[in-house]
Amino acid sequence: MKAIYGLYDDPHVAQQAVDNLRAAGVADAEITVISSEPFDHFEFGHRDAKTAMPWIATGAGAVGLVLTYYLLGLSQRAWPLVTSGMPIAPNWTNLIIIFEMTMLSAIIATVITLLVTAGIPSRGGKMYDPEVSDGYILVGVESPADASKLEPALAIDGGRVKKT
Amino acid sequence: MNRTLNNQRLADDLVRPLFHTSVWFYAIVVAAGTVVACGAGAWGFQLWYGIGLSGKRWPTFWALYLTNFVFWIGISHAGTLISAILRLVNAGWRRPVTRCAEVITVFALMIGAMFPIIHLGRPWLAFWLFPYPSSREIWPNFRSPLAWDFFAINTYLTGSVLFLFLPMIPDLALVRDRSTGWRRTIYGALSFGWRGTTKQWNRLETAMQIMAVAILPVAVSVHTIVSFDFSMANVPMWHSTIFGPYFVAGAIFSGIAGLILAMAALRKALHLEHYLLPLHFDNLGKLLLLMCILWGYFVFNERLTVWYGNEPTEMAVFWATQRGDYAPLYWTMVIGNFVLPLAILANPKTRTILGTVIASCGVVIGMWLERFLIVVPSLTHKQLPYSWGTYWPTPVELFIMAATFAGMILLYTLFAKFVPIISIWEMKAGLPSRMDRAVLAEERLQSTRLDAEPLPARVGPEGP
Amino acid sequence: MPFRWGMAVDLDKCTGCEACVTACHAENNIPTVSAQQAARGRAMHWIRVERYYEGDFPDVRVKFRPVLCQHCDNAPCESVCPTYAAHHNEDGLNAQVYNRCIGTRYCANACTYNVRFFNFFNPEWPKPLHLQLNPDVSVREVGVMEKCTFCVQRIKAAKTAAKAEKRVIVDGALQPACAQACPTTAIVFGDLNDPESRVARLARSPRGTKLLEDLGAEPKITYLQKQPWYESNAQ
Repeated sequence: MKAIYGLYDDPHVAQQAVDNLRAAGVADAEITVISSEPFDHFEFGHRDAKTAMPWIATGAGAVGLVLTYYLLGLSQRAWPLVTSGMPIAPNWTNLIIIFEMTMLSAIIATVITLLVTAGIPSRGGKMYDPEVSDGYILVGVESPADASKLEPALAIDGGRVKKT
Repeated sequence: MNRTLNNQRLADDLVRPLFHTSVWFYAIVVAAGTVVACGAGAWGFQLWYGIGLSGKRWPTFWALYLTNFVFWIGISHAGTLISAILRLVNAGWRRPVTRCAEVITVFALMIGAMFPIIHLGRPWLAFWLFPYPSSREIWPNFRSPLAWDFFAINTYLTGSVLFLFLPMIPDLALVRDRSTGWRRTIYGALSFGWRGTTKQWNRLETAMQIMAVAILPVAVSVHTIVSFDFSMANVPMWHSTIFGPYFVAGAIFSGIAGLILAMAALRKALHLEHYLLPLHFDNLGKLLLLMCILWGYFVFNERLTVWYGNEPTEMAVFWATQRGDYAPLYWTMVIGNFVLPLAILANPKTRTILGTVIASCGVVIGMWLERFLIVVPSLTHKQLPYSWGTYWPTPVELFIMAATFAGMILLYTLFAKFVPIISIWEMKAGLPSRMDRAVLAEERLQSTRLDAEPLPARVGPEGP
Repeated sequence: MPFRWGMAVDLDKCTGCEACVTACHAENNIPTVSAQQAARGRAMHWIRVERYYEGDFPDVRVKFRPVLCQHCDNAPCESVCPTYAAHHNEDGLNAQVYNRCIGTRYCANACTYNVRFFNFFNPEWPKPLHLQLNPDVSVREVGVMEKCTFCVQRIKAAKTAAKAEKRVIVDGALQPACAQACPTTAIVFGDLNDPESRVARLARSPRGTKLLEDLGAEPKITYLQKQPWYESNAQ
């Protein structure tokens, strides 16, 4: 069996299903909850919210800052052309480009981290039901060891159980 | 009410334009497409015969193209304000509006970014602005505001495109699930195999938060750097320290006006009366009013300083705009930017959808004129009176300008046809039924306090 | 010691004959434009004679001032060019590198003297006028900014000859076209770093002022006049 899951239209019922699965001995990492919208206010919605993404973004910004500073300084000093009596590598003007490149690095690092940690683009083949798009919440386990134990956990009031 | 039915109806309403095409769609595409083609032809002429086909001359070396450049980059500040700031302060009423705004940003930026290339004397060499060591081992001049423009606009464009595209992924997945055949393949590819696991949602929302924080300073810096194109030159009434904040405020001002116009058009064309409510236009109208007053404040600041200082070179430009050749344009601008919006928007009774649309039309015209009146009068009245001049636009410039407006309409129409213009997942997340009972109870408790703020509108088919 | 090319223009001697303008056109292959284009402000006069009227009839006086690139030490046009087409060279000249110019025209806006000119179209010389082009000077294509170079081709030729013959450049031997053509020798050119050169002595003259000096661009052309200069907005 590839997967067993239940479809619920009430997030409170979905939360109950998740707790039931936990009680039935399924590890947290094996419980998959799929929905067409985020449920931040529910426990099942923010159980894996911890992420280092802000730190990665900050770090990438710092890297961008340092790299741009040196790139500008090096390229301006490599062929020093005098303009308007300004210094060859003025800090005031270089600061503007350094700022832009810092922000760009942070933004791109954020997006790359998102793609990697969210596992997109993915080629599919994982557990999914198009009814999710109609607003149902899917709570299930992929490749379950003991499906007979899980079915009663998922078959609570307000839900439908499906097996693939 | 059954929540799934609410969700269903929401998704149905917002996905319907993708599957049902009215005759208006074809009409708009053909009409706008024709104007765009004419503009492209005009540009082709200009590339072939030389930039002399435009009206530029000695000493007015920048004119309509730069005006349009600044104007369109200004319009692009709509998305950032609405999306990023309102997202960061958790203002619920922004939900139906964010994607409309972000789309304006991306397309306005793309159009605006074309103008630095169109106005070049040798546009085929525009790639020299890219920072790379050329075969002559020379890099761009990083001391030039135009080099700063290159970095700023590209950063903002990248950020905005990503800011638009990332929250689109779940909606594209929804469309994928509802479509068949070639549509399913394309939307499947575009949605990157998105499923909607809680981990994916968490990562997406964290990424959006970070990007909202990052894109705000970038947006402010972009229009400040565009203003540096003017304030770094020692030209009378350009060399002003107020230009940075003045331009940013003006950009947000014109951006909100553009957004109101786009939303009003969408509401009519796609029958989104239950989603784009009078409340949204009222809120945006209040923001527009605020920016209108802020704009008036900046203009007063700038002009008072010039008038009080009474410096001859600056006063020549001052009087040229206020009483001289440019007076008709100047006073039209004041009416469109200040008098009309203030009159309409200050009164809650007239701050209706129609009222905000009329005010926004005035603002869009007024802001375009403001850009023109910054660029041209100063160049025609520089320090040496012998070199004063005039400027008249030519058909080539006007065609290209018309093509950009038509291009915006065309791109927007095409986008609304292929992608849900209102973010479905964000709307769903804002429905009251989706929130934790505890959070709802807390909010209701807070709202019963005498000094509480009114609850943000719950947007749904039932209305606020 | 490096050179520092400068100029002194004696306004009391200038008759407004515009021989300098014609000579500059001939020497530097400056394109002529049609009457229609000139009316649209596209004429390119690297040196122009500005004419101001003063007073009312019958006490009218006319003042002439030849205005050309001032080769400012603090040139506002140089730092705004994104491709380094405008920069300061070691001789103190404001150099315009045609090959680097992509035609943003920012330099022309930044120039407070409006001495920069733009090729709005590809220049044309109807035959047989093409025979009069100076082979020492390039011809610029559409989209390129140009301006007075102090006849840098003559400077280069003089420097090369002096180096080859192991001598110094004699003051007065090297002259740009405008100085050479001026019938009243109102235009004097030379090395400001040589304290004994004519131009250095004239630059120290009490009759000397600089154009728009208070803007801080540090122009290198000294205008000599006995009378105070009145600017009037009427022409």
